[in-house]
Amino acid sequence: MSLLNDPSMKEVVDEFCNESMELFNELEEILEEFEDDPTQTDKLEKFGQIIDRVMGSAKTIGADEIATFCELGKVIGYKSSQVKDTALLEVVCAIMFDSLELLKKMIKQIEEGNSSSFEQVSSVTFVTRLKWLKEKFNDIERSSCAADPEGNLSQTSIDDLMSSLGL
Amino acid sequence: MALKSDMKILVIDDMATMRKIIKNMLKQIGFTNISEADDGATAWPMIQEALNSTAPYEFIVSDWNMPQMSGLDLLKKVRETEELKKLPFLMITAEAEQGNVVIAVKAGVSNFIVKPFSASVLKEKIEKIF
Repeated sequence: MSLLNDPSMKEVVDEFCNESMELFNELEEILEEFEDDPTQTDKLEKFGQIIDRVMGSAKTIGADEIATFCELGKVIGYKSSQVKDTALLEVVCAIMFDSLELLKKMIKQIEEGNSSSFEQVSSVTFVTRLKWLKEKFNDIERSSCAADPEGNLSQTSIDDLMSSLGL
Repeated sequence: MALKSDMKILVIDDMATMRKIIKNMLKQIGFTNISEADDGATAWPMIQEALNSTAPYEFIVSDWNMPQMSGLDLLKKVRETEELKKLPFLMITAEAEQGNVVIAVKAGVSNFIVKPFSASVLKEKIEKIF
């Protein structure tokens, strides 16, 4: 389901673009604060929380590529906040800055009505880079604000689980 | 129980985009009496005030991940209040981690829906609650 090209959803898409840009600017400030003091790894957790919000909206309106970038950013943000490897965290910070730049370009593409030309903006290579970075934290379990991560469920699995719990 | 079109609903999400989308979906389903809040911390006083008035909220649709007060924390507050123990509460999340589902159920959630979802899925979830 994509609302990007639905004229009746223009107001919603415009709202998404405005909100996302504001949040990306906030995320850049957070990264700058982290760069100034790399001991403040809680900034990376905050990064993960905020980019998660964009991910949710992006998924809902069908901005799948933005959602993918944000999801990877969320996982990397949360997981990297739990490590102390300064060199690795510097790489995280640098790549997250690049990600935000690309995300902003994607938003501009939507605003200009060119959401179909994302291939020119994003690159498979960059997503590969994000996945490579995500793998550096494979031994860290917590990747979200979830209280007790034990793997993702589909809506059907959730329905089954709810039924088994009597709901 | 038949769904009333003027059922008093509160939609809570820190993203204005999501509030718009959910509100549009609810209107599509046929609901006409929909309020919004941008965080659990904003919603809680609204719920309390409505409870003390002649028009309490009859259905809550809340995001999980919110900056000041999460959907889970709001749900716990709601369920700790005697008059709100049975207030229908639908939790919306972009995450579907099993731990979240179990915790939300233990906290008394009425149902759970994962982003992205359509108006028809939302309607299905609402009908299961009511």
